Formats: sequence, C-alpha cells, structure tokens
Amino acid sequence: MEEKIKVKVNHLTKKFGDLLVLDDMSFNVTDGDLLCVVGPTGCGKTTFLNSLTKIYDITEGEILLNGQQVNPKKQNIAYIFQGDSTMPWLTVEENVRFGLDIKGLPETKKKEQVEKYLEIVGLTKYKNYYPKQLSASMLQRVSIARAFATEPELLLMDEPYGQLDIELRFKLEDELVKLWKLTRTTVLFITHNIEEAVYLGNKIMILTNKPTTVKKTIVNDLPRPRDIAAPEFVKLRNQVTELIKWW
Amino acid sequence: MIKKKNISDKTINVACACISIGAFLFLWYWGTAFTKLGMLIPGPVEVLETVTAGFFGKVGRHSILVHVGYSMIRVMIGFIVGSVFGIVLGLLMGWYRIAEAIFNPLFRIIRPIPPIAWIPISIIWFGLGENAKIFLIFLASFSNTTLNSMAGAKNVDREVVNAAKMLGANERQIFTTIVLPASVPSIFAGLQVAISSSWATVLAAEMVRSSEGLGWMIVAGMNNNDMLQILSGIVMIGVVGFILAIIMRKAEDILCRWNKSGN
Amino acid sequence: MSMEQERKLKNGNLIECTNVCKAFETPEGEYQVVKDFNLETRENEFLVLFGPGQCGKTTIINMIAGFERVTGGSIKSQGKEISKPDPSRGVVFQSTALFPWMTTMGNVEYGLKMAGNKKAEREKRAQKYIDLVGLQGFEKAFPVKLSGGMKQRVGIARAYCNEPEVMLMDEPFGALDAQTRYLMQEELQRIWEAEKRTVIFVTNNIEEALYLADRILVLTNCPATVKKEYVIDLPRPRNLVSPEFLALRKEITGIMDSTL
Repeated sequence: MEEKIKVKVNHLTKKFGDLLVLDDMSFNVTDGDLLCVVGPTGCGKTTFLNSLTKIYDITEGEILLNGQQVNPKKQNIAYIFQGDSTMPWLTVEENVRFGLDIKGLPETKKKEQVEKYLEIVGLTKYKNYYPKQLSASMLQRVSIARAFATEPELLLMDEPYGQLDIELRFKLEDELVKLWKLTRTTVLFITHNIEEAVYLGNKIMILTNKPTTVKKTIVNDLPRPRDIAAPEFVKLRNQVTELIKWW
Repeated sequence: MIKKKNISDKTINVACACISIGAFLFLWYWGTAFTKLGMLIPGPVEVLETVTAGFFGKVGRHSILVHVGYSMIRVMIGFIVGSVFGIVLGLLMGWYRIAEAIFNPLFRIIRPIPPIAWIPISIIWFGLGENAKIFLIFLASFSNTTLNSMAGAKNVDREVVNAAKMLGANERQIFTTIVLPASVPSIFAGLQVAISSSWATVLAAEMVRSSEGLGWMIVAGMNNNDMLQILSGIVMIGVVGFILAIIMRKAEDILCRWNKSGN
Repeated sequence: MSMEQERKLKNGNLIECTNVCKAFETPEGEYQVVKDFNLETRENEFLVLFGPGQCGKTTIINMIAGFERVTGGSIKSQGKEISKPDPSRGVVFQSTALFPWMTTMGNVEYGLKMAGNKKAEREKRAQKYIDLVGLQGFEKAFPVKLSGGMKQRVGIARAYCNEPEVMLMDEPFGALDAQTRYLMQEELQRIWEAEKRTVIFVTNNIEEALYLADRILVLTNCPATVKKEYVIDLPRPRNLVSPEFLALRKEITGIMDSTL
C-alpha cells in the first residue's frame, strides 16, 4: 500500500529565552495514522502541542501538513482537550453544527453530517439537550462528534479521557477507534497513560524528558479489539513503560 | 524564562503609562497655549510652577508639604480606625450567620449614603474640629473594608475548614488561623478601594471649616477665584493618592506571597 | 460495654458502619445517596471503597469523617457514635485542602500547634513526617510552588502528623496525571508499610484499588451499598501486569455498575 505522509516535522526546536524545551524533533505522521504520543510527566507535552498548532512561534524547524506550512487558520485542524469544550448556550445538535457553520457548508450537507455523527456517538436521542444536562462522558462524545463532523485533515487530542472512570474510558476509546476506522482521519493522541496509548494507537511515539525529543516510534499492530490482559499487549505495555519510566 | 518576560511586560507598562501621561500633559499644554481653553484654565507649566513655589514658599499659612501632612494625618487616622472596624465587622458578618443577620440590614442602609451627606450630622455630633473630618473619612474606609472582608470570609474554602476541624482546631482557632488569613487577599482589595476613597473624601472633610490641608487649598482657591491654587490642590491630591495606592500594593505583595504562583 | 463490642475493639474494629443511609432533600423530593451500607475495619488494613464516579463514595467518607450526619443507621468509632470531626481520624482530600498561606512545615505541624504543643517538639515530629513523604528541602515552600504530586505528599504528611488511628483518603490521586499517579501509589504503599494504620481509601480507579488494597468493597451506583467484597492477597509490591492482577481487574471491572 502506498503511504502518503500527512504531517512532516523537520528539526522542530522551541526555546523560551535560554531554556530549550523542544530539541530538534523530526518525525512523520502517515495519512490515516492514529499516532499516540506518550512521554514522561513534565516532558513539554503542552509546548509540543502548542507548537504544532502555531499557538507558539517555533524557534527553528518547520511543520508541514500536506506539504504546506501548517496553518490552523487555513487548514482544517480539529482539537479535543481534556476539559469540556462544548458551548453551554447551544444544544448538542447546535454544538456539533457549530464547526460546520464556520466552514460555510450548504444547509443539506450540514444537516446530513450532524445527523450522521450524532448517530455514531449515540447521542441522537439527546440532540436537544444542553451540555449542563449531560454527564462528562457524554460531553466528550459531543466534542468528538463536533470534531469528526468537520472532516478535519488532522485531529489533535490532548488526554481527553484523563479523568473518566476506566470502564467509560474504554467505551469512548472503542468509539474513537470506530470513528477513526470509518473516516481514516489522521489522529494525534497525546496521553500520559501508557495502557491507553497501547490500546489505541497503530503507532506509538515516545518522547524523552525535557529538552524533549523523539525517543522511539513503535508500530503497534496488535489485532483489534485489543485485550489489555493478553500477553502480547502486556509485553508491549512493558516495553513502552521501560522507555518512559522516570519514577 | 518567566522572569525575563515579566521584566519586559513591566517595561512596556511603564512606557505606556509615561506615554499616556505625557500625551495628556501635552494636550493640556497645547490646549491652553493655542486654543480658547487657555482662558478657562492655566497650563501645566504654570501649575507646576505654582506647586514648586508652594513647596518652598507658602500657600495660605503653610507650605504645600505641610498641607499634605495635615490631610495625610486625618486620612490615616480615619482610614486606620475605619479599616480595623470594617475588617472585624466584615469577617464576623461573613463567618457567623447570626452576626450577619444582626448587622447586615443596618449596614445595607448606611452604605449607600455618600460621605458628603454626613457633613451636617458630623458637625452636629462632633463640632467643627478634627473629629468631624476624621469621622467622614472613617465612614469612607469603613464600608469598603466591611464589604470586602465579608466577601472574603464567606468564600473561605469549606474543604480547607474541614481539614482544620479534622486536625483538631476549635471554633476560635478556625476563625483566627483559617478564616482570617484566607480572607487577606479580599481584605486587601477592600483596603485598596478604601485608601483611595478615604483620600478622595479628604476634600469633603476639609470643606468643614479648616485652615489647612489640600481640601482647604481648593476651597480657599475657589473663594479667591485662584484657579492656580485649585489646580495645584487637585494635582497634589492625585499624586498623593497614586503614591498611596502603590504603597498598598507593595504591602499586599509582601503579605500575600503565598497567593502568587510562578517560579 | 458488651462482650461483643469488646471483642470487636480487640480485633481493631475502629470504624463500624451499620445500615448507614444518607438522603438529601431536593425540590424533587428525597434523594437517596447511600443505602444500607455496612463496614467493619480490621486492624491496620488497607480498605478500598471502589465504585463508579459520583456513586456516593465521598458521602460515606464525609460521614465517617464527621462532616456530614447519617440519616439512618449508625457509624461508630471505637464503639462511640461519630458526631463531629475528630483528630483521631485523619483525612486526605482530593483537592488537597492545604492551607495556602502556610509553608509545608506550617501545614504539617498545624494539628500539633492547635493542640498546644511546643514549637521545638512539633517541628521535630513534623520533620519526621516530612522526611517520610520525601519532602525534605521543601519545608519552607508555600503550596503554590509545589507540583500536584508534592501537594498531595504534604496532605498525607499533615494527616499522619496528628498520628490518627484511622486514615480516610478520598480519591487523593484523582487529579494527578497517570504517571504521577503510579508514582504516588508506590509512595503511599511505602509510607503505609513504614507507618501502619487502618486506611479507608476511596477510588474509581481499579488499578489503584488492586495495587493498594488488602480488601476491596465494590459499591453499587447511587444509592451506594456494598455489592461485593474481595480480599486481595497478592504479594506486595504488586505487579500491575501480572496475569493474576489483570484477571482480578477484569473480574471487578465486569461487575462494576455503569454510569452511562
């Protein structure tokens, strides 16, 4: 199969004054990857993300998306963060529609997309609810539907399930895998949780401590649905843990 | 890295302040020198000259510094007494429901009355001497500190109070070791407003027959139609008020070190 | 005191919950949060209350601490009904609830100070617990300067410094990231081995529960009651990926109520 490179990062370096935070990071993300990024606590994860999205100016290097300089204003990049990012004054349906309104799609297309993604995350029944009436896991589903509905070139997820019960987390993770398989969206999933990274990713990128650089990228071709108690899963989890362990 | 950024932020702030004040002075100067505004008020240069002259010579019976001193003593006494009362009453009202039930209705009625409205009563109660002036300043600082101290005591984190109880603190200890320090940031917010409004009230206070102070300078200037003296008084009130606010902020920085994050 | 009670005390039954109920009045009527909850602690055991988020676990801990009153049943500490907070029960909060205007030392020695101990004496004892939780060198730091994990270490030292007979821990690591959480679990295990106490620990994280517990009470979702009890006798320190650990994890996750 021909592999198209979606994101290309060359010699990404970020300094704050004299403090080197990101040190000459180079890596590629192949089109359709679900790349999990794990690193030790305090590894400059936030700086890494903010540099990718151009919230910070980078000191050196370049980040290319589809061969062009990354630019969230021109390219369609979606984000999902840990906290709730829904708009409390809009209903579930309006929240999902919000991203499409900005893009200026025709009305029928918008309606179609909203319905499709609400159905996939199982929120059709709740489309007229306001965020305040929903649980934390349902809010994350709204965010996910909103992000996927815009059919982004790249989806960045920053520990979206960090605070959820383990069982809910697995449910939402399964849902993410389902959406990802369906849309073949390129996803960059940042987490501190090694088990989560091994459960989700088709590749795992391990970062070092500050100044951050890429320690290793591991291809994860365990069959899905994955079993966290399977020996191969445990082996891979241990392997990643050894590469990260700081405590 | 964070430090470096702060310094440059600070430099920008100072620069902006200098530019805006400079621009104001320039407009004032230009307006009085080249437009009809000059017939209404004197220009900044003349005011500055009068102020400087006042430092070395006399305005009325005293030099400007002595006038500042008189006003300052009144403000300080009124402010300190008012704040102490305000902090105690505010914390009690914020922490003990019964104190709030008793004092809050009364306080709500008194608070909206501007200090100037109290002038006649204060004269009847305290006569024309210092006490009437101090009373007015007392009122100005009292209501602001009460309000903020009350808000501070009301917003003390319940979980922190529970933690103290769990560690064996009794009611009195909780009030002195938890409620009081936890309220310090909002008490300071109140003191900040209180010092400014106390200083602003000095003018009203000194309208009650006085022969010294910055308020007197303005009132006397008005009576003599001496625009320069009025403006000198106003400028000095502004400058001293500004300095007081800076001192308060510094005191807050020292007392609320624990409230500041960063490396 | 009856024979039965004496026997229980000898066995270290410090905390005893009998048919505990808790209901809150809401505009829509009574809302039952805890129903017929029973518990007996054993001496120096690490007891974990495990249940889904918002299931009423925190309410149980708050009642044992004495912050809230039961609306039915009884909670006894050493045979006496619990009516208010008491230094014999230490609490570690998820929010840490540190006193932000006090340094690490000030926080840790607070209980001793309130009890009227002399400065030299209380600093000596506080230092012992500061060392125990690995915070030497940070005695003079204010909480704002500490990381999440370090703040929780102060919280643990503060509770330990009063030398309570029972430690109540309400999701103490819930706000930490996954890796810091593992680290703190290892640390807590070490501290508990060094200073044995009866611990009642609340969590919704199954790995954490299995790593720390001698005994796990799995709770139902609101109203909370004991669904099943597990005695965990895997050797310590436990291996998070051993087959036995993973099998237990799967089993317990399987019976846990869904909150969706």
